[in-house]
Amino acid sequence: MRSYLALLRGAYMVGLVYRFGFLFSIAGNIIYMSVTYFLWRSIYQNRETLHGLTFDQTYIYVALGSAVFILLKTYVDWQMSFDIREGMVATYLIKPIDLQLYELFTSFGFFLMSFSAITIPTVLLLIFVFHIQIPLGIGLALFPFSLVLAYLLSFCFDYFIGLLGFYTESVWGLSITKEIIVTVLSGALIPLQFFPDAIQKILLWLPFQAIYYTPLTMVAQSTLGWEIFLPMLSVQIFWVIALFTLTRLFYNQAIKVLRISGG
Amino acid sequence: MSLIHIENLCKEFKILNRREGLSGAFRDLFSGDYRIVEAVAGISFDIESGEIVGYIGPNGAGKSTTIKMMTGILKPSSGTLQVNGLVPYDNRIRQAQIMGVVFGQRTQLWWDLPVIESFKILKEIYKVDQKTFKRHMDMFNELVGLNALYSQQVRTLSLGQRMLCDIAASFLHNPQIVFLDEPTIGLDISIKAKIRSLIKMLNSERNTTIILTTHDLGDVEALCQRIIIIDKGKILYDGDIKKVNALFGAYRTLKLQIDGFNESTLQTLKTSLTGRFGSKDGFAIAQTEEFWTDVTFDQARTPLSDVLNFVMTNFAVHDVRIVEIAMEDVVKRVYDGALR
Amino acid sequence: MHSLRDYLRLYFIIETQYIKARMQYRADFIVSSIGMFFSSLATLGIFWVLFNSIPDIAGWTFMQLVFIYGFYMIAISPMQILFDHIWQIRFHVQQGTFLKYYFRPLNIMFYYMSEMFDLKGLTQLAAGIVILIYASIRLDLTWTPSRIALLLLTLFSASLVQISITLLAGCAAFWVLDAYPVLGLAWKLREFAPYPMNIFDGAFRFTFTFIIPLGFVAFYPSQLFLQPDEVSPLIYFSPLVGVGLFAFTYWVWTKGVNSYTGTGS
Repeated sequence: MRSYLALLRGAYMVGLVYRFGFLFSIAGNIIYMSVTYFLWRSIYQNRETLHGLTFDQTYIYVALGSAVFILLKTYVDWQMSFDIREGMVATYLIKPIDLQLYELFTSFGFFLMSFSAITIPTVLLLIFVFHIQIPLGIGLALFPFSLVLAYLLSFCFDYFIGLLGFYTESVWGLSITKEIIVTVLSGALIPLQFFPDAIQKILLWLPFQAIYYTPLTMVAQSTLGWEIFLPMLSVQIFWVIALFTLTRLFYNQAIKVLRISGG
Repeated sequence: MSLIHIENLCKEFKILNRREGLSGAFRDLFSGDYRIVEAVAGISFDIESGEIVGYIGPNGAGKSTTIKMMTGILKPSSGTLQVNGLVPYDNRIRQAQIMGVVFGQRTQLWWDLPVIESFKILKEIYKVDQKTFKRHMDMFNELVGLNALYSQQVRTLSLGQRMLCDIAASFLHNPQIVFLDEPTIGLDISIKAKIRSLIKMLNSERNTTIILTTHDLGDVEALCQRIIIIDKGKILYDGDIKKVNALFGAYRTLKLQIDGFNESTLQTLKTSLTGRFGSKDGFAIAQTEEFWTDVTFDQARTPLSDVLNFVMTNFAVHDVRIVEIAMEDVVKRVYDGALR
Repeated sequence: MHSLRDYLRLYFIIETQYIKARMQYRADFIVSSIGMFFSSLATLGIFWVLFNSIPDIAGWTFMQLVFIYGFYMIAISPMQILFDHIWQIRFHVQQGTFLKYYFRPLNIMFYYMSEMFDLKGLTQLAAGIVILIYASIRLDLTWTPSRIALLLLTLFSASLVQISITLLAGCAAFWVLDAYPVLGLAWKLREFAPYPMNIFDGAFRFTFTFIIPLGFVAFYPSQLFLQPDEVSPLIYFSPLVGVGLFAFTYWVWTKGVNSYTGTGS
């Protein structure tokens, strides 16, 4: 366990080195927050609520969404494809560690870094620059847990793509497709309430909404109460368990392929 | 008028004195705290058509800086530099037409394309007419059997095959000067020989001037009649290779593994060798690697067999290696006035 | 020396060979094209969802935004297809392999960019054309030969704007160690190009019009066709913006290329 914690710390340190990159991420985030502010303001020009959401609620959702998006980017799929290309996966198989846990802990350090460097400033901006009132409800307390669960889910998807990389050279196309699917279907860009009813119903059954829609709603509509949030949280936990199991099974398959083709 | 004329050429670089940490990096942006590094500190030489010149020196000596100025990449700080009557830096594209460049480590050909396609593209770039193109391709085939590699993608070639293609490609457009940088690095003996003979033949066929930068003395001995040694931005030697050859060829380093070796054995070795063979200056004795002791001496003055015999008889030597003197040592000796 | 015709001919020869060689990787091409296709339509998808509930955004109907979107996709394609190699430049600069491009009697930008021809960008171009045509049919726009010529002209200058913004970001590699974030930011910015500019006011509108002229990638040029009677004089500046910005970009590139000395001595 200690070795995994060491990985965490190591990744956090690496994150510190990329301060230039973080600066630009923050800049990009500020621009996104501003552009979407203008967009939504013009949408809400003549109305108080849309699909039951006020401007404040929608904007909190969208603005926080971009910060969360950066936060939940694990780069595991890229890391793994790089490792394969460099023939380094063979070294993992020799070491006494679990590949999935290794990738998880390495990327989690980056998560912690992102949280402090991007998410927190975003919230501060929301409150002090954009003058948005964030409602104080039970959702806020549940948000951190939901966020971690969302991260684990995001990790599973990226890890899955990374494993697919054992079979095929082309990670870019797979990665982009996954990103689009996740981003659009998860409510990362728009609260799910805006989707047509029929589509909404389908989306709520899929695991993607557990990555963005759930945690973002906990902040944007934090006063909804236990009856709404508890089931949402349980669904998240369900998906985390399900996807971890599935990816582990897939890993066992994929490793066989790797052993044959020589790593 | 010489093909390459260099007079009092200098190149300085401003290097920022970097500071530590994040605040330091920020202050660096506004800093005026530079130090001047003189990469090339006033060199002069002339090279005529058809010469094969070895341009050597230790790492950081200023070789690549000079080459970059000659090929028009870097602007000299001061001095005269003319290639074929023109100033390279102001005429990059024009000069490129009469030059060829080969890097040992990196190919100039198109990685994913078959060899022949690279040559065809070069034909277009350099506007080589069909007759000349055919003549050269036939010549390359005659010299190194290039036809066999035509349809292979450059990235599938072995290092040696790739070098042959790169060198051939650099001569395709009939350049007046070809710069070869480490052309035989990492290659085995037989391919090295092939490459050296290719270079020699291309030079004699077309009277192309060749400037060779390399750490491989074998290349220099096989190809060059003239060498220029540069160190710390200054020319230490410019002349016939035979004069330096004796220096190169004669020095040997005897590497010994002596049982029970310690500080006192080192002293004994020193005193006994100089005692037996004469002047102290002849022998340089040092421990450069763990367990190995190096004895460097001038073979022309003291036969190798004598030294070996002496050492084997008087010391418990259980392993021996004989190596040529390293380039760094040669230059060091030249710098110390060994040639005067 | 090489004339423009020489360069075109050379480009054709190099890219035909390049494409032939890349076609070996058929699976990668198909998967990447699919990926590119989806990523192109993401923002459009968001608009579609939005317009499910509202009739217009800042006075623009869905079909009008679709037209702008189609224009946008066509305008960003040349950057994607022809200049994709800019993403690798920081590696070449740092490892010294960028020097290779100085030794041929060729323009360095031409030589560098010609080494990559992004086939999957063609998917984006095709999608953009289809979307543009679809929208113009639905909007009942009239096309005369002179209007089509104007369309091509504005598309050309719009693509120059996009190319310039991205190349400028890539030039950071000549002076900064970790230039990737700059390119990343430029990439993110392009997502906002299909947005209608009149949602912005004041400082932002100024920025996106005059400082980082995203507005000229799709929105302003599209005005010429969507609302030809209410065009502000600003719009006619479009071609100038494209050409002028590219000239500036080329100047910065040249400065970067001249200051580069490679690694080692």
